[in-house]
Amino acid sequence: MINGVQNNLSLGNIAGGGASPSKTTDAGSAGGSSFADMLKNSIGEVSKLQQDASQAVSDLASGKTEDVDGVMTAMNKADLAFKTLLAIRGKLMDAYDEIKQISV
Amino acid sequence: MFIENLLNQGSGPALSELLKFTSQRHKLLAENIVNVDTPGYKQKDLSLEKFQQLMQDRIEQRNNSAPGTVGFDDIQGKIENPTSGILFHDGNNRSMETLMSDQAKNALMHNMVIELLRKQFASMEMALKERVS
Amino acid sequence: MFDVLDMGASGLVAQRTRMDVISANIANINTTRNSKGELSPYRRKFVTLSSGQQADPARAGVHIDGIKEDQSEFLKKYDPGNPDADPTTGYVLQPNIDMSIEYVNALEASRAYEANVTMMETTKSMINSSLRLIA
Repeated sequence: MINGVQNNLSLGNIAGGGASPSKTTDAGSAGGSSFADMLKNSIGEVSKLQQDASQAVSDLASGKTEDVDGVMTAMNKADLAFKTLLAIRGKLMDAYDEIKQISV
Repeated sequence: MFIENLLNQGSGPALSELLKFTSQRHKLLAENIVNVDTPGYKQKDLSLEKFQQLMQDRIEQRNNSAPGTVGFDDIQGKIENPTSGILFHDGNNRSMETLMSDQAKNALMHNMVIELLRKQFASMEMALKERVS
Repeated sequence: MFDVLDMGASGLVAQRTRMDVISANIANINTTRNSKGELSPYRRKFVTLSSGQQADPARAGVHIDGIKEDQSEFLKKYDPGNPDADPTTGYVLQPNIDMSIEYVNALEASRAYEANVTMMETTKSMINSSLRLIA
């Protein structure tokens, strides 16, 4: 499903880096990264950001660091990253629902 | 256990423990302020450094073990009578400035921890609702 | 957390009572006769504080143990023409009150009162932000 959607999503082209519009028929194979891989990496990135934020908060609570601004920034970054991923997921689900409605 | 581990993830338990500590310390500092003119009164305090040391050790322990095995419930500060800088013969260190600034710092830490906890709960709720905000 | 407010209230009451006693001392700094008109100079009063609340000394707080009279000597002023003077020596007995001591005590009492008020405000803000955890 995701490989077929890639052809129509410009987001995949922008964020995929290596993918170019001419490779519309060769989705997901050798060459550029597919949207699926990008999503998987994003989940890993968000998870890492959240762990960093959690570690920063623990450091603040135990007194290892006095850098309150750094902790707040880390928490905000993790929060925004999670919201971005959630928004992307929401759009994908909506797109899938729309495509499901297409009667053959 | 699954739901409990889900709710106790990240820095939630450490922050709750810190909240308990700041509430306890606030009561002691308030008692010191109220008794600033009472002759013969010994000041009481909970040592922040010792508590932070205990927390650090416990957080390290928790990072190195399986989720759900290490908790923070049994960390207790010990009430002690600080004797540094006593200027009066009856043992009451009537330093209003130190008392007020300690109380302000404690209150600020308490409020900051509450904000961090709110953020954590809010992001869990957002994940559950599956919609941004 | 709510019993901290009781603690603060006990502190406010104690400091204010102390302030009342100090004001009475200052007002009576030259009083040589008592309310019945007899020749009896006003004796300086002072309060003793001790920890523990008034109603329940086991709870944290402060209360006034008692209002006592200062037993030090009366001050003597040489004024033979004064109707209150001692006929043989010509000295008038004045209350044993020193204005500067009373003034400094008044400053200290009002400073302690202010500190108690600040402490109660801080407690209220902590309780309020704890409530925001639920909202």
